[in-house]
Amino acid sequence: MPVDLDNSSTASGEASVSSSGNQPPPPPHQPPSKSTATAKKKRNLPGMPDPEAEVIALSPKTLLATNRFVCEICNKGFQRDQNLQLHRRGHNLPWKLRQRSSKDVKKRVYVCPEPSCVHHDPTRALGDLTGIKKHFCRKHGEKKWKCDKCSKKYAVQSDWKAHSKICGTREYKCDCGTLFSRRDSFITHRAFCDALAEESARAQPHTPNPNPKPIQESDPKVQVESSPPPAPLPPPVAPDFGSDQGQAPPGLAQSNGMISSPVLAIQSPVLHKEKLNFPCLFDKCLIFMSPFLLIIFSLLHYAELPDNPPQFIEEAPAPAPSPTPATVTAGFNGSFGSGTSSSSNGSSTSSVFASLFASSTASGNLQAPQTPAFTDLIHAMAHPDHPTDLTPSSIEPISLCLSTNQGSSIFGTAGQERRQYAPPPQPAMSATALLQKAAQMGAAATNASLLRGLGIVSSSSSSAQPDNMQWGQRQMEPENSSVTAGLGLGLPCDGGSGLKELMMGTPSVFGPKHATLDFLGLGMAAGGSPSGGLSALITSIGGGLDVAAAAAAASFGGGEFSGKDMRRS
Amino acid sequence: MRTELRGNTTSISLQNPSLFNDPENSLSGELKGCLGSLDGACIEKLLLHCASALEHNDGTLAQQVMWVLNNVASLVGDPNQRLTSWFLRALISRASKVCPAAMDFDGSGTIRRRQMSVTELAVYVDLIPWHRFGFCASNSAILKAIEGYSKVHILDFSITHCMQWPTLIDALAKRPEGPPSLRITVPSCRPPVPPFLNVSCEEVGLRLSNFAKFKDVPFEFNVIDDPACFASPESIPQESSHEFHFESLMNHLTPSMLNLRDDEALVINCQNWLRYLSNIDQKGNVVQDSSSLRDAFLRTVKFLNPCILVVVDEDSDLSAPSLSSRITTCFNYLWIPFDALETFLPKDSSQRVEYESDIGHKIENIISFEGLQRIERLESGIEVAQRMKNAGFSSVPFCEDTIGEVRSLLEEHASGWGMKKEADHMLVLTWKGHNSVFATAWVPSDLQD
Repeated sequence: MPVDLDNSSTASGEASVSSSGNQPPPPPHQPPSKSTATAKKKRNLPGMPDPEAEVIALSPKTLLATNRFVCEICNKGFQRDQNLQLHRRGHNLPWKLRQRSSKDVKKRVYVCPEPSCVHHDPTRALGDLTGIKKHFCRKHGEKKWKCDKCSKKYAVQSDWKAHSKICGTREYKCDCGTLFSRRDSFITHRAFCDALAEESARAQPHTPNPNPKPIQESDPKVQVESSPPPAPLPPPVAPDFGSDQGQAPPGLAQSNGMISSPVLAIQSPVLHKEKLNFPCLFDKCLIFMSPFLLIIFSLLHYAELPDNPPQFIEEAPAPAPSPTPATVTAGFNGSFGSGTSSSSNGSSTSSVFASLFASSTASGNLQAPQTPAFTDLIHAMAHPDHPTDLTPSSIEPISLCLSTNQGSSIFGTAGQERRQYAPPPQPAMSATALLQKAAQMGAAATNASLLRGLGIVSSSSSSAQPDNMQWGQRQMEPENSSVTAGLGLGLPCDGGSGLKELMMGTPSVFGPKHATLDFLGLGMAAGGSPSGGLSALITSIGGGLDVAAAAAAASFGGGEFSGKDMRRS
Repeated sequence: MRTELRGNTTSISLQNPSLFNDPENSLSGELKGCLGSLDGACIEKLLLHCASALEHNDGTLAQQVMWVLNNVASLVGDPNQRLTSWFLRALISRASKVCPAAMDFDGSGTIRRRQMSVTELAVYVDLIPWHRFGFCASNSAILKAIEGYSKVHILDFSITHCMQWPTLIDALAKRPEGPPSLRITVPSCRPPVPPFLNVSCEEVGLRLSNFAKFKDVPFEFNVIDDPACFASPESIPQESSHEFHFESLMNHLTPSMLNLRDDEALVINCQNWLRYLSNIDQKGNVVQDSSSLRDAFLRTVKFLNPCILVVVDEDSDLSAPSLSSRITTCFNYLWIPFDALETFLPKDSSQRVEYESDIGHKIENIISFEGLQRIERLESGIEVAQRMKNAGFSSVPFCEDTIGEVRSLLEEHASGWGMKKEADHMLVLTWKGHNSVFATAWVPSDLQD
């Protein structure tokens, strides 16, 4: 759909003034005069909006209105500007008034009034009015139009019409049974489909029919573009070919084409499988590694997106850790590549991160509101097939206690019932709260030095300081104010009373000896904060971390950050 | 874009308002403008702050920002959240290089080796018209250029493992004067970027041959014989081997090594390819002369005298030396495919997550690597066009048939996708008006009379 060059401006009266309900305030300068159309489309950097463009925010009422063009004389409404102009001529206006005042046409971009929409952001504005209208209807409007043949619903009538034209008119069916609505996808699939390879192998004794005629089946709508009757599906032949070192398999030897593959075969990209032995790794490295960096390390190494099990060498499923996410150490195993093997329940993932971040609150928070966490990222990477399980994961991200408020506040007041799907997992707190908290972390006085947090961990003090710690260099001395172990690396003391205070009363499943670590975390507020969210727990990292009392305390005074409107445009 | 930030209509109560006046805390001070709204602009700022903190070795600030971003990010959230999680990951990867010794790992970077089967890849390239646009425009231009020839040789430089060719073979089969004989040659090595296939290129060639035979098109498939590509992957560090391979490849692009034949129409197809050829000199400055591999490649292929050279790539400049500029551009460009995926696929679609993860792979290379290891050096269409002209090519327009075909392709894909024509006869795929992918066709200048 080419960008619509309809640059007719909006009826100023309607657009700038009317704001119904909880709409954002009127846009900046809405010029009363109308400009002529055909602004030349200036080419912008991709994705980068024109800095000089005028951003126009229209209200939903305006966008949905069908008669946007109103005659100022008699208040008659028209769908199109041209029609309005024609009408105005009938009023016998003096010449001057009849003409539109010409002014330099300024490029206009339009934002969506829906606050949570990505196009609410001026940098994601749409360039034409029709586009934003259609977008608004499609995304936030009610789907009033329904296709007769299939069940698809549409909010914009033209979409519905376009769909109805093609629905069920043409379908392409491959021998393997897959259906396609578009010819090019069908052709591409067909070329590589196993069914063709097999059939061709079998077709050698007799001449295959190269140009199959469409087979008229009982259902006249379906044109089956396939050759001779489909054969039972063979097992995928790919693995065989892969190992063939360039020799054509027997069936294809007489292929019309000549495959000349020089000298050596090209191996398929070797699948690098991480064979880390995790416990050993921990023993070796933890002492000198901050949890934060450790996690980075793990993150990067565990960063494979496991595919179907066949792609990964180990067929045997990794031993699933116990369902309680809290039991950590056991969860480590070297073969996390077979992450797909574990059940999709987030709590029983075999990823080490489940362990690392497993919250101690097992059941209670399993259905916690979707607070996105870094751990989710890691989990998602480990389990691309089960992303739905990420959000109800038992992994408790570091968060303030805003999880409770999260769901409702984002979508604000009523009237925004336009969600067409479940609300995406939103951050648990407003930007304000997040930043404030981060700021507090920076400002809070703590006992621990960043350096300690960075993992120069020794029971005595922050004496051991590796010189290659670039980050550490700047914060050699424990500082009271700006350095916070709380933020990154709050390392509360080992098991002791500090831990219990920090734990906010949640039963520690780990036993008293486990050090509790926050990833980027905040040893949680001692005292008052009614925290639903808990600091992540990193279990006894081989006992190597015997940290001095860095009671991380960014004590979040009274942390009653209510989840104010999370305006996620 | 300078607009007044529409004020928030809700009041924000701060627990400790004074904290925001804390001069020591640079984070809150600088991000005041984001109060109340974590929209794309704010996230972008956060990313930039994080990058800047890393560059200044400010661990505290970096962690603070990462903490905030962490709370925003979600792989299954809305496009902004998804993008954020990939960017955060890339920043962490970059951060990890800041103190590698403490991390005690081999620094080989993230290895993402999800491999697809050929049929899965066929679906992958059609999830959104991102690739199909280029395929369609290129194939149509190629068809036109080889009119009258009975033999065609295609040099295919791309990352999508020959997914482009079935439709061309199909079209050739239907040529009124009968199909030409077709030869496709691919390089043996390919940039180590997704999408990855679980079979060799020989296998792909086999299947194509099969298909061509099925369509009665005489067909031949060659893989350029380049011993360098068979060097064991372990012997050369992953990323620098890339450069090494390309230089070796260049040596094989001669008429004799390619076995060029006189009566053949030579077609060169560069799809998502040029960006992997280094465009910097030893010092790391972007150049457009003989010192860059990219230009050397263009001159080499010009010397082969193709009857058409099609170049398709993504339309954005992601190769700036400055990290913040890359972050900004990358963030503002890659929201496009994320948004498109959001429109067409449900949140929990694994295909979508995988597609996004491949984009994440790209993000990581752009953000967290420097020097030779940063292999993603995308230039905008305009810059590529200039480079082509410098190398001695002239652009040729796409004919009306082609444009019509692309248009109907986009119409089939439903709204949001558009197309526009730009300078140098460039066709550009747009999503909601934003440039995504460009397609151009060129001939050596001295061929044009």
